Amino acid sequence: MGLLAWTMIGLALWHFTVFLPDRCWSGIIGAFLGCNFGAILFGLAIHGFAVPGQNDTDLITALEGVPGAMIGYGLMYWLGVRQEARAGEEDELLAT
Amino acid sequence: MSDRQRNLFVLLLVAGLLLASAVAVATKPTKLGLDLQGGVELVYQVKPRAGQPAPTPETIQRTIDVMRERVDQLGVAEPEIQQAGGDQINVALPDVSNLQQAIKQVGTVAQLAFYDWEPTVIGPDGQPDPENAAVTGGPSAGDASAGLTLYDALLRAEKRPAKVEPDNSRDGNLYFAVDRDAKKVYGLGEETEAEALQNVPAAKKAGASVITVKPDTVILRAQKPADGPKPDRWFVLKDDVALAGKEIKDPEQNFDQGTGGSGQPIVTFSFSDQGRRTWESVTKAIAQRGQESVGILQSGDQTLQHFAIVLDNELVSSPTIDYRQYPEGIDGRNGSQIEGGFTIGTAQELANILKTGALPVQLELISSSQVSATLGRQALNQGLVAGVAGFIVVALFLLIFYRVLGVIAVAALAVYGVYFFALIKSIPVVLTLPGIAGLILTLGVAADANIVIFERVKEEIRGGRSIASGIATGYKKGLSAIIDANVVIVMVAFILFTLATAGVQGFALTLGLGVIVSLFTAVLATQAILGAMSKSRFISNPSALGAEKPKGNRFRLDYMGYSKWFFSASGVILLVCALALGSKGINFGIDFESGTRINVELKQNVDENKVRGVLRGEGLADAKIQKVTGNKDAKGASQFQISTDNLRPLEVSRVTDALAEAFGSANTPSSTSIGPTFGQTVANSAVIAILASLFVISAYIALRFEPKYAVPVLIALTHDILITAGVYALVGQEVTTATVAALLTILGYSLYDTIIVFDRIRENVPRMPRAAFSQIVNRSMSEVIVRSLATTFSTALPVLALLLFGGETLQAFAFALLVGTLSGTYSSIFIAGPVLTLWKERETVYRRRHVRIAAENGGVVPAFATGAANEQIDPDAKRKLRKGQRVTAPDDPEAGVSREEFEELVRDLHIDPVPQRTAAAKSKPKPKPKPASVRDESADAMPEDVVMPPARDDSAAAPKRSKRSSAAAKRRGKHGRPR
Repeated sequence: MGLLAWTMIGLALWHFTVFLPDRCWSGIIGAFLGCNFGAILFGLAIHGFAVPGQNDTDLITALEGVPGAMIGYGLMYWLGVRQEARAGEEDELLAT
Repeated sequence: MSDRQRNLFVLLLVAGLLLASAVAVATKPTKLGLDLQGGVELVYQVKPRAGQPAPTPETIQRTIDVMRERVDQLGVAEPEIQQAGGDQINVALPDVSNLQQAIKQVGTVAQLAFYDWEPTVIGPDGQPDPENAAVTGGPSAGDASAGLTLYDALLRAEKRPAKVEPDNSRDGNLYFAVDRDAKKVYGLGEETEAEALQNVPAAKKAGASVITVKPDTVILRAQKPADGPKPDRWFVLKDDVALAGKEIKDPEQNFDQGTGGSGQPIVTFSFSDQGRRTWESVTKAIAQRGQESVGILQSGDQTLQHFAIVLDNELVSSPTIDYRQYPEGIDGRNGSQIEGGFTIGTAQELANILKTGALPVQLELISSSQVSATLGRQALNQGLVAGVAGFIVVALFLLIFYRVLGVIAVAALAVYGVYFFALIKSIPVVLTLPGIAGLILTLGVAADANIVIFERVKEEIRGGRSIASGIATGYKKGLSAIIDANVVIVMVAFILFTLATAGVQGFALTLGLGVIVSLFTAVLATQAILGAMSKSRFISNPSALGAEKPKGNRFRLDYMGYSKWFFSASGVILLVCALALGSKGINFGIDFESGTRINVELKQNVDENKVRGVLRGEGLADAKIQKVTGNKDAKGASQFQISTDNLRPLEVSRVTDALAEAFGSANTPSSTSIGPTFGQTVANSAVIAILASLFVISAYIALRFEPKYAVPVLIALTHDILITAGVYALVGQEVTTATVAALLTILGYSLYDTIIVFDRIRENVPRMPRAAFSQIVNRSMSEVIVRSLATTFSTALPVLALLLFGGETLQAFAFALLVGTLSGTYSSIFIAGPVLTLWKERETVYRRRHVRIAAENGGVVPAFATGAANEQIDPDAKRKLRKGQRVTAPDDPEAGVSREEFEELVRDLHIDPVPQRTAAAKSKPKPKPKPASVRDESADAMPEDVVMPPARDDSAAAPKRSKRSSAAAKRRGKHGRPR
C-alpha cells in the first residue's frame, strides 16, 4: 500500500513540473522517472527497504514520497543541465 | 469483385448468419452460471501429502476424475470441474443447496486406514501403553469421553521422535499453530510452518508458536456419536497402518442384519487378495492379544481388543475382535463391514466415497460460495434490465447524433446482439453476471467502432468528397484506429482470462468474443449497408448523415497551450487521492483479505443489535453486520450481510441455522468464504495481470506506432489506474476481483481514445512537414475531439445503465468502469498528447521547426500552423458545400487525399497552389534538389518534395473503370496514340 501511495505522490508532483523549465534529462519523461523513482526509493529507504502494508500506511507514509519526488526531479534536472552544458561545449569546439 | 458485388455478398452473409443465429437462439439452451441460477462453488488448492513430491498435472487430472465421479453420484446436472491456474480445482455445482454435503462429497480425500488400536495409542510419556485403559479408553476405545483436547494431544505428540516407515500414512511433518498461553490451536495441521501460522488471526500472531508432529505419529479425531456433531476430542496414535484403504473393494451401504445384528445402516466391503491376507493376520494378532490379556486385565469386555477404522484422520468406528469367536482372526473372504452410528444417508456417502477411491492429493478448500436460486434469478433479471437499458441508451445516442448513419449503426448493434447471443449458446459459454457486464460493455465497443468510422466518413464528406467516396475513404482510414484499439482490448481480455478467477474469466471471455464479433457487424456489415445505399436518396444530403458543415469549430482549442492547467488538475486530483489512500486506505473485500460473507433474509423485521446478539452466541461478536435495504425482490422483512473472519462451512451453517431459529428464514442463505491462500492468489494474479497488460500494450503501441508513442500511453494508463484506485480510497468503495477486471478493462478503453488521437497524429505528421509538433497535435486533437468525446459517451452510457440497474455486484464493477472511462478520456486528450508533444519536440527536426516558426512569428509558436501569408490554416477551409447540394461528384476513393486536402497540404508547406507554382516556375529557375545521399535526414521536407499525383493516370490507384473505358485504355496503349 505504501508503494502505491508513494507512486501516487510521485505522479501527482510530476504533473506540476510542466511549470518548470524543460531542462531535465530526457525532458518530461526524465522528470516522470525522477519523481516516481525518487518518491519510491526515498520511501523505501525510510522504511528500511520494506514496503508498508495496508495497516502500516498512513498520511505520513504517503507524504514521505514528497521529498523523494523532489530529490528525484532535482537529480534529473541536474543531469539535464549538465548534458546541455556538455552539448554547448561540443558545439563551441566544433565552431572553432 | 466489384464494390456492388462485394456489398451484396456481405449483406447476404449477414442475413444468412442472422438466420442461423436466430435458429440457434431459439433452439439452444442458455447455460447459466451459478451466480445466475444458484448453486455451490468450491475452489480447492491441491497440495502434496506430507513428504510427497508436488502434484503433477496427471495427478491433478486424476483428482478431477475422482471428483467428477463423486459429483455424478450426487446427481448434479451439468457440474463444472476444472483446473484453475497451476494448482487449483474449481468445482461448480448448479442447483445444489447444501454446501456442507457438497464439500463432504467432493473434497473428502477419503484416505481410509485400519489401525490396531491398543498397541498404537500413545500415552502421556509419548509411548504406547496397551494395557492402560486410561490411555486406550478400554471398552470405550475411540470414544470422545476417552479423548484429549487437541492442544493436549499435540503436547503428547510433540514428544514423539520422527521415524519414517513403509506403513506410515504420511512421510512428512505436520505443523500446528498454537497459543501456548491460551492453550488454543489454530487450524488442523498444515504442511509448512508458514501455512500453519496463516491460520492465526492477525491480532493473535504475536503469541503464536508452532508444534511439529513428526512422521510415525498421527492425531485422530474421536468417533462421532450417532446423533451429534464431530467431537473436539482427539487421540494420538503411532502411525503404523495395519491395512490401507486401497486394499478394500466393492463398498456398499447395507444394513446390519447378521446374527445379533442391530439392523442399523452399515458399510460393507470386500478385500483384495493382499488385503484379505493382511486382514486375517491383523485380526488374528488382535485376537491373540485379547486372549493373552485374560488374567492380566479384568475379564469380560475389558479383555477385548480393538481395531480402528480411520477416514481422513477421523475415527469412523473402533470395533472389537472377539478372540472367543475368532481365535484365528477373521476370514477376509467374506469381506467386512464398518459400523459407526450411520444414518442411511451417511452410510451411502461413505460407501460412495470409498467406491471412487481416495483422492491422490491433499485438498485445501480455499474458497466456497453458495448462491440461492432466488438470488440467482434476481441477479439475472437485473443483468437483463441493465443490458436492455444499455442498448436503448446507446441506440438513442446513435440515432440523435448520427441520424441515418445512426439507424444503420443501431441495426448493426441489434444484429450484433443476436450473433453474440447465438454464439454464447452455441459454444456454449456459461453466462455469469460478470459475463453479462462484458456483453453490455461490448455494446459500447461496437458503438465506438461505428462512431470512429462515421466521424471519419463525415469528415471526408465535409472535406469535399462525394457520399460514395466519403464512405469508402472513411471506412478505409478509420479501420486502422479501430483495429489497433480492438486488438488491445482483445489482448487485455486474453490476459484477464488467463490470470483471473472463474467469475472474472466469464467477463473476459464475453468481452473478447464480443469485440471480435462487433468488428464484423460494426465495420463490415455497416459498410456493406452504407455502400449499397450510397446512391440512395436517403443519404444523398450530407445533413442526413450529420455531415453538414458545422458553424465554426467549437473544439479548435490550443490544447497544448492549456495542457499545463490540465496537468495541474490531474496533479491536484492525484494528490488528494494519494492523501486519501494514506489516511483512509483501500477497502479491500474478502476476495483479497479472506473471510466469510453471509447474506440472510429473515422473516422478522429486526435490527443489527438483535442479529449481533445471536452471533455473539456463536462466538462472532466482532462480525460486521450490515442491514441491506432497497431490495424490492427480497422475500423477508429484513435482509443482512454479515462479514466475519474466514469460517468453515459447518460454522457458516451454525450461524445461518441460529439466525433462522431466532428470526425465521425467508430464503436460502447465500455465503462466500475465501481462505487466505485464495485471497493471496487473487491479489498476485491482479498485479501480474495489470503488469502483463501494461507490457503487452506498450509493446503493441511501440510496434504499431513508434517506441516513443508507447511511453505517454503508459503514463496515461498509470494515471487512470491510480486515479481509479484513489477514488476508491476516497469514497471507501470496496475493492473486489470485479474491480480488478474493471481496472484492466479501463486499460483497454483508455487506450481506445489514446489510439484515436495518436492515429490522427501519425497521419498528420507527414501531412504537415513544416509544422511544429505542438501544432500537429493541436490540429489532430481538434479533428478527433468529437469522436473521442462521442466514444466516451457511448461507453459511459451502458456503464451508467449497469450502475443504475445492475444490482450490487454489477454496480461495484460499473463504478470502477465509470471513473476509469472518464479518467481515460481525460488522460488521452490532456495527458498522453501533451507528454508526447513535449518529448517529441526535443527531437532535432522538431526543435529546428520550433525555432524557425518562433523566429517567423516574433518568438511565439502559434497554436495552429500558418500558411504562406501568415493566415491560419483551416483544415476545413474552402470545403463548404452548398446547403442541400447533392454530393455525387465522382472522385477517386482510392486516392489518399482529395484535391481540397492536397491544396491544404500545399498551404501547410508555405508554397503556392499548383497553378501559381507552375506560372512562377517560368520566371524563376527551378532550384536543383540535393542528391538524396547528401540530404540531412532531420531537415524539413521541401516544397518540391510534394507533388500532387495525377488523379487518373496511376493505374494501380485508379478505381475500377467501366468495361468500355478499360477497353479504350487498352486500345490507347496498343496504338500508342495519346488522345
